[in-house]
Amino acid sequence: MPSSRRVFLGAAATLLLTGCSSDVLGLRRAVRVAVSWSGEELRVFHKVLDGLGALDYPVEVVPLGDDISTAFGARSTRRPDIVMLPQPGLVPRHLADLEPVPDDIAQLGRARLWKELLVHEGTTYGVPFKTAHKSAVWYRPSVFRQAGVEPPRLWSEWLTLNQTLTKAGVTPLSLAAGDGWVLTDFLENILLGIAPSVYAGLATATDPRPSQHPEVAAALRLLGTMWSAPGVLAGGVKESLVQQFPDALVEVFGHRRAAMVLASDFAEPVVRSFAADPDDIGLFTFPPMTAGAAAPVVVGGDVMVLPKPTTEDARDLVRRLSAPTAADPWIAEGGFLVDGRTSGYSPELTRLAEQLTKPGEQLRFDLSDQLGRIGDINGLWRVLTDFLIAVGRPGAVVPDAVGDAMAELRKVEES
Amino acid sequence: MGLHTNGLSLEVVGREITGRPVQGRPRRPAGPYLLGLPALLLSCLLLIPIGVTVVTAFRTDGGFGLGNFAVMGDPSALHAVGNSLLWMLVAFGTVGVGFLLALLSYRLPAVTTFLQPALVIPFAVSILVSGATFRLIFDPTPERGTITAVSTRLFGSSPVWLGPGLFWLVLVSAFGWTWLGYVVSLFRTGLDAIPDDVTRAITAEGVRGWRRVRALEIPLLRPITGVITLTLVIAAVRVFDLVLIVVPGSMQRSADVLGLNWWRATTTGGDSGRTAALGVVLFAIVAAVGLIGVRGLRRRRWAMPVTVVRPDPSLARPKPTRVVRRFGWFIGFAVALVWIFPAVVLVATALHSPREAGLHGWWSFSGLGFSSFGAAANVGLFRALLSTLVIAAAATAVLLVIAVPTAYLVAWGGLPTRLGRIAMGVFVVLAVTPVQMYAAPLRDAIDTAGLAGSRVALALVHAAAGLPFAVLLLRSAFASAPPALVSEALQGPARQSAVLATVQRTYRPALVAVAVLEFALVWNDFIVGFLISGPGTTPLSLVLWGEARQFSTSSGPVAAAAVVASVVPVVLMLSFWRIVVRGLTTGSRP
Repeated sequence: MPSSRRVFLGAAATLLLTGCSSDVLGLRRAVRVAVSWSGEELRVFHKVLDGLGALDYPVEVVPLGDDISTAFGARSTRRPDIVMLPQPGLVPRHLADLEPVPDDIAQLGRARLWKELLVHEGTTYGVPFKTAHKSAVWYRPSVFRQAGVEPPRLWSEWLTLNQTLTKAGVTPLSLAAGDGWVLTDFLENILLGIAPSVYAGLATATDPRPSQHPEVAAALRLLGTMWSAPGVLAGGVKESLVQQFPDALVEVFGHRRAAMVLASDFAEPVVRSFAADPDDIGLFTFPPMTAGAAAPVVVGGDVMVLPKPTTEDARDLVRRLSAPTAADPWIAEGGFLVDGRTSGYSPELTRLAEQLTKPGEQLRFDLSDQLGRIGDINGLWRVLTDFLIAVGRPGAVVPDAVGDAMAELRKVEES
Repeated sequence: MGLHTNGLSLEVVGREITGRPVQGRPRRPAGPYLLGLPALLLSCLLLIPIGVTVVTAFRTDGGFGLGNFAVMGDPSALHAVGNSLLWMLVAFGTVGVGFLLALLSYRLPAVTTFLQPALVIPFAVSILVSGATFRLIFDPTPERGTITAVSTRLFGSSPVWLGPGLFWLVLVSAFGWTWLGYVVSLFRTGLDAIPDDVTRAITAEGVRGWRRVRALEIPLLRPITGVITLTLVIAAVRVFDLVLIVVPGSMQRSADVLGLNWWRATTTGGDSGRTAALGVVLFAIVAAVGLIGVRGLRRRRWAMPVTVVRPDPSLARPKPTRVVRRFGWFIGFAVALVWIFPAVVLVATALHSPREAGLHGWWSFSGLGFSSFGAAANVGLFRALLSTLVIAAAATAVLLVIAVPTAYLVAWGGLPTRLGRIAMGVFVVLAVTPVQMYAAPLRDAIDTAGLAGSRVALALVHAAAGLPFAVLLLRSAFASAPPALVSEALQGPARQSAVLATVQRTYRPALVAVAVLEFALVWNDFIVGFLISGPGTTPLSLVLWGEARQFSTSSGPVAAAAVVASVVPVVLMLSFWRIVVRGLTTGSRP
């Protein structure tokens, strides 16, 4: 039938034409947004973009994962127009590569905490998109009830709690040692809890030398004490090492092989979607290290920055993304905190949001981000992974492992 | 010959003609040289950046020297070199296993029925997909990982398969799964080409078993073994994306290979001279292996494949007995089942909802449906498919348009011998050059030209990278044309076009092989797009890559994306596999 053939050819031609549109060919300049998210988070971010309505330019999302800091490196390929930087601490190190954000949204970058990282000599170089509370521990209340324990109010109580659970036949902790930042978060919470001034000093130093502070060794010792306790880690160190961040959550809530996991607020969607029992989800915040001390709150977040040279389209997209309602689709999915906002979240996240805005808390930005090379994948991440392996060996002596880790850290600093 | 008349006998002795029938130098029209011009221009896309890299590697502050190679003293770089060498051993092992499998399928012909398609599928999918599949199979939790579940059930506990040291098993399985099909198919074609009278003669002499393999098959298959080993060793040294997707972040350091080390050095803003030096070392290893491999093929004068004559059906081997056939059928079925299993795992995982796939293995009966495909589609899978299609089609078209005349020129265009040899030498070197050798300068140039992100630029780079192999393959196909046929064509009125027409008709398998392999290669590409254009322009891999960051909880969408990404190359390879193998071995008779 000639007519049907014509229809077919017409359809094929149309398909070909749409296929070869400049968008697909990559000829039209899309606004490229580099993000570190993947999986569910990436999908929700696409939803956020869709929620912005019709834009005059195509938007391309580039998931860079842990290598996001390379987005504005000197030899970067296809420099993105917007970087959703999950390590706001990197901003001061890259001022030369960044454009100031548009004046009308600059005040967003001058909020508490963010100011010291994003504002330099009166110019704002980034605006927060997402805030992360990195001192949260997700747990299963049913297990705690069975063992007759309460969420710990002190570090020492936490250690006792672990012992009680182990005796009751429950593995207390699940640890995502496959992702280095999970390990650094743990250490940072302890360090901030025992020596806030050292933490602050390291965060602001131009040439930070964590290995020269005995407090860092002390924090490592405390960490080693917890990790090396027999039977404390689900699957032992070996299995922990192959667990990525969401795997550890599934261990606790999906397979129910552990009681709790240190995980940020953004764990929420994973926890909820994989939980075997949706009502068996609890959350406590990292306890103070000693009685009377303030509880440590390590803050992270994703900050929008504009690498040089920027375009009007990129500025426009940043403006739209920093609108108060832009992130609503993500907030609805859970696991998203907006800086300064305390309502509209689930009960668990509301508690975290309130702690973030309460005056007088021991709030600090993630330290490893601010250490530059020392804190990244080849620095602290690696040192802590090796440390975990060392304390996980049978008959391991924690002080020796601490000594090795400090020596390793010194090597990183000197190289 | 003699004449006899009247008792007179005249002896007529013919004198052999030596030298040319027509005196003087042959006229060499300049026209044909133009055929090579596009290839020269396209190759410059690689040659110039390679030159830049070499110069950068040897340039130090005080002039030229080996200063940058001090980077090799770095323990992590040394470790990476060691691992790359280990990978070469893996390649040799794969060749050995493939040879044995091919021998098995040769002795027990019924095996082939099942084995062939089962072996082709893995070759068609990208290494990223096969890495993801094996990571699913070896997942450390007994609820998700097949092997972990089986060993927990049998022994009560299971080693952590992705853990320190053991991740090698996962890597090697994925590598072997991908490449064995290619190895077996080529060996099998070579075995089929062994003349039956030779086989019969040697069997009649009572040479059997292992002695027969050593006396007959191994020596006769030497050239084809060269080709296979070369391909595999190069693939092994280039391993990059496999490690990225299989090995959990905490262990990637111990799994480091040279290619990966180079990439980390460039992304962390390492000194360009030192990274260039790393690239040169990687290149030196590959080139050394390449040259050794090619030496074995020297007698064929760069003709990559071996000539294979289809067996004459009248001289077919005696049919094996029924018992042997049954046995072969059974073994073939079993091996095929094992071989197809990873593909089954992948498809079954994709057919579970994201939640179910994250919690339980592929065998679970709950949560079946297409929601994982939906989840993968939400991150732009279909737009990525379209982009990939455009890039792969463009690269294949450009490649064919440029490679065919070039191969013709090299084979029959009357190039002076030395020039032809140099050209072929350059192509062999380019064919084995790792992308790290030209990636950095090339992407800088593309960025400067304002073409960053242009898929046209990427397609051109792909075509340039595929050109050397295509020319080598087509050239040997063209060159093996029977001289009578070609001289006939050459003497005809429309000389070159007639030759081209003959060549086209006779050597379609080689052309199909080039087209299909290039298309599949570009479609499955991760590393070239990733290193040249950054993560944005390799759309399909990008989706996989983005999803795989949180591997187990994204199992469903990862598997779905992998399935969708694999459909096109698998269908293509399955439909053209026989012709591709014939093309690879120039196995057509005129």
